Parts: sequence; C-alpha cells; structure tokens
Amino acid sequence: MSILSLHSISKRYGAIQALSGVSFEVPRGAVFGILGPNGSGKTTLLGIVTDVLKADEGTYRLFDEAPTAAQRRQIGTLLETPNFYHYLSAYRNLQVAASIKQRPEQDISRVLEIAGLTARQHSRFKTYSLGMKQRLAIASALLGDPEVLILDEPTNGLDPAGIAEVRQLILELARSGKTIILASHLLDEVEKVCSHVAILQKGKLLLSGSVAEVLVREDYVELSCSNNAALEKLIAGHPAFAHILQRHEHLQVVFSQPVDLAALNAWCADQGIWLSHLHIRKQSLEKAFLQITNN
Amino acid sequence: MLQIIRTEWLKVRSYRTFWVLLLLAVLSIPAANFIVAEITETIREQAQNKIPVNLYDFPIIWQSVSWINSFMTAVFGFPLLILVTNEFTYKTHRQNIIDGWERRDFVLAKLYWWLAFGVLALLTTMLTGTLLGLAYALHPFSFEDSRFLFYYFLQVEVSMGIALLIAVLVRRAGLAIVLYLAYIMLVDQLLVLIVKRKVGEIGGLLPMQAADELIPFPIIDKFIPDTNRYDDSVYLIMLLVYIALMIFLVFRRMLKTDY
Repeated sequence: MSILSLHSISKRYGAIQALSGVSFEVPRGAVFGILGPNGSGKTTLLGIVTDVLKADEGTYRLFDEAPTAAQRRQIGTLLETPNFYHYLSAYRNLQVAASIKQRPEQDISRVLEIAGLTARQHSRFKTYSLGMKQRLAIASALLGDPEVLILDEPTNGLDPAGIAEVRQLILELARSGKTIILASHLLDEVEKVCSHVAILQKGKLLLSGSVAEVLVREDYVELSCSNNAALEKLIAGHPAFAHILQRHEHLQVVFSQPVDLAALNAWCADQGIWLSHLHIRKQSLEKAFLQITNN
Repeated sequence: MLQIIRTEWLKVRSYRTFWVLLLLAVLSIPAANFIVAEITETIREQAQNKIPVNLYDFPIIWQSVSWINSFMTAVFGFPLLILVTNEFTYKTHRQNIIDGWERRDFVLAKLYWWLAFGVLALLTTMLTGTLLGLAYALHPFSFEDSRFLFYYFLQVEVSMGIALLIAVLVRRAGLAIVLYLAYIMLVDQLLVLIVKRKVGEIGGLLPMQAADELIPFPIIDKFIPDTNRYDDSVYLIMLLVYIALMIFLVFRRMLKTDY
C-alpha cells in the first residue's frame, strides 16, 4: 500500500509554474526525501497534500483513499514554518493541536520531552528562539505518535547539535516502521536519513526512486607524480581506465571497475613512474546532484 | 461541534487582549444606557415632569436601549476581527487544517464566535433593560415591544458579519480594523444619505441602515411617522439576506482560496 500517491499535480502562481505534472508514490515504511533547491516546489507540493493549497490540476490519494481531514489527523506535519499562537505557552499550543488532532493531552509531556522543551513548556511561544520554535513544531508533529510524518525542512534554524538530534530522531522513527516524508534542500540530510528520494527542480520531477539508485556517485582516484603529463599518458593505458575528471595539482581518474591502490601503485612503478600522491575519493554529493539537475 | 468549540476555547482562554476587548464591548451597553438614563432623568426632574415621557419606562425601554445600542454595534466586531486576523497573522489557520480540521470546520469555528457575541450582546441588553427599568420605570415590568431587542441582535450580527467578511478578505489586523470602522462609521451612512436623496427610500435598505430603520428614535417615531418607509418586514428580510450573503461569501472564500 502506498501512503501517498500523486497523479500529475500542477500548480501555478500567476506567471510562475510552481509544479507541473508531478507524479510519484511514497511506499509504506519509506523515509522519502523530496529534494530540490529553494523555490523548486517542495513546500507547494506538501501544501497541496495537506489541503492548505489547492492544485490546479491532478489528484492525490492518502492511504490509497481519497484524501480527508480524518486522514490528516493520522499524519504529523511540520510545513514550512512553525505556526503557533504567539500569546500561548508551548503546552497550551500543543493542547490546541491535540484537540484538533483528537489525541489525548497526556501525550503532550512525552513529545515536549523528546523535543527538549520540558523546562520551557510554560513560556509563551513568542519568547522562544528560532530553534525552540522549530523543536516545538516537531513536538507537535509527533503528538499522538502518528504512523506517518511529513517534515518540511525539519532542521531549519537548529544548531549543529540540534540538527544531529533531529536526524537521529528521524532515523529512530524510521526504524520503528513509520513512514516519513522529508522535504529538504540539504543533500547530505537526504542521503543520511532517506531510503527513497524524489528530485524536484523548477516544479518538475527530475527523478525518483531509491537513494542508492538516484544519487549515484562515481569513485575516482586522485594521483600525481613529478611529471603529471607523463602520468596521464601512462594511466590512459591502464586496463580499467575510463576517463579523466580533472587535471589540476592531481589527476582525477575514473576507472571502469574498482582498482586496488597498491596494485595501481606497483603498476605505475613497473612502468617507471613513481607516484607522490595516491588517494581514492567519492565524487561529492553536490556534484552528483548538479549532474542530475543540469541534465 | 463540541470539539470545535472546545478548541476555540483553548485558543482564547488565556488571551488577555481578547478578553479586554470583549469586556469593553459588553460594558459599553450598561454604561451608555446608564448615562442616557441619568441624563433623561435629570432633564425630567428639571422640567418638573412637564415632559411626560420616560425613555426608561416599560415597555418603551426595549426600544430605547436598542436605539442607544444601535450607535455602538461596531464594538462587538473588534474581538471577532482580532480572533480571525490573528489566525492569518500567526498562520495558525494553515496549521488548523494541517492538523486535521476541514476548511469548513475553521469557518464554523469563527461563526460560533459570531453567533455567541450576538447572543451575548442580546443578553447584556436584556439584563441592562431589566435593571434600568427596575430603577427608573414608572410602570411594571413588561416584555411588550421587546421585538426591538431582536432587531438590535440582527444589527449586531450584520455588523459582525461585515467584520468577518473583511477579516477573511484582507487578513491583516490593522487594515481590517480601519476598513471595518470606515464602513460602519462613514461609508454606510454616506451611501444611505446619497441613495436616499438621489434614488429614494431604497437607501434605507443598506446593511447597517436596515436595522436602524427598524429601531427609530423612541417617542418621536409616534409623533412624526415616516410615511415613505417600507413595511418592517422588508427591512427584516433584508437583514436576513445580508446575514445569509455574508456567511455564503465567507465560506466561499475560505473553502476555495490557498491558505
């Protein structure tokens, strides 16, 4: 069963086509990343799914059924910014949320504890720092321990420790079998926590699938010697040679199959070239992403 | 329904600004009427009862309090404006939907307030009339002519309907309050004057004026009856039409627009 399925969703704001014909499915139990640069349509897409925005075209289904408010109550959602009553305390804000979600108020202290806000639960929301507001929004999404979570840029405004905590929390929730839809412009965030990913750019879906399939990254070997020109000529004759990525201080060489660095070193030495630098590296995620979005 | 009312209660129970605005609106009714009652009493005493009319005698008192109140119907619009525009300012209208309300539930939540404030205004007016009557009336308590209370109730509902419509259309608190005041205090009155002069009695059917036509100045209306005006039922129907129209427009706006 898919938790969410989108069919040709389009949305336009005046002259701007925010989404055009986006379709994909989120399987149960997935940590599904929606990845894309700022303004790519991630929040618009999630806004449509949560009924705060109306799609111009297309349909979506939740839990394989036509969407209803009752289904939204089964989903913990943090969309764009933490939205709370400024004059109410964190606790009272969560009382409002629990009342709408029809969840027991006894759960409030549990989610406040997870978010690390127990000590400040009776302070008014307007006295909170940006990071605390974000934590409260996460706490609110966790109310009632929903099976599905929609988290739009959940680490926004958090300090490095907070970011690590939230990522850990997402991983733990995923391990407990929950389905998580995570929108982010942070590549490493998606790679670290997601099992599946959909990549959006300018409102169009570029790719979707498992992270391992979509975010493929080439390994390359970095090497240099006293005469890189000679080395380049030599390495082109290596049986596994594929292509050269860059020629700067070091040559960056991609091989068609994994090579053993010791063997490669010996192979070069046998041909009379003594390497001064030899290192295996992974292509950066940013580069892999740019390759996808540029094509 | 109870779940919606309970949620709205949780939103306001510790919101001081709201309670102060509501308290001011409620207090304005006994305060204004008490002042007028004292002044008319003083005039009567000074005139040594040569003016044989007492505005706060039964049963004319119901028309008097409704007439005095009709100058202040706008006051109940303020707490409603604050409640609605706050949701837009804090984007909690979005969150309420995200958390699992139907869009219809959000509108109903605000309509409950709209109705509750109207009932509160009506009850406060009844209580004020009763107490001032006990203090100043020469005749025994009577509910005769209490239909004026109902007209006043409708006027409050129309005025709050305008507030609600402005709030969902402009969304920003400051602008909404300015537009609301401008309409109630200036635009409606100006339009009534212009239309009545240029076109005719149809000007009396404008939203705020329709109820004013039903609650004329006490006593004077008996001496100088306005022969041009429509039958009471016409004004009454117009008030109900305005209320229905405003509810329809508020629903239409909130069900279709992006949040």
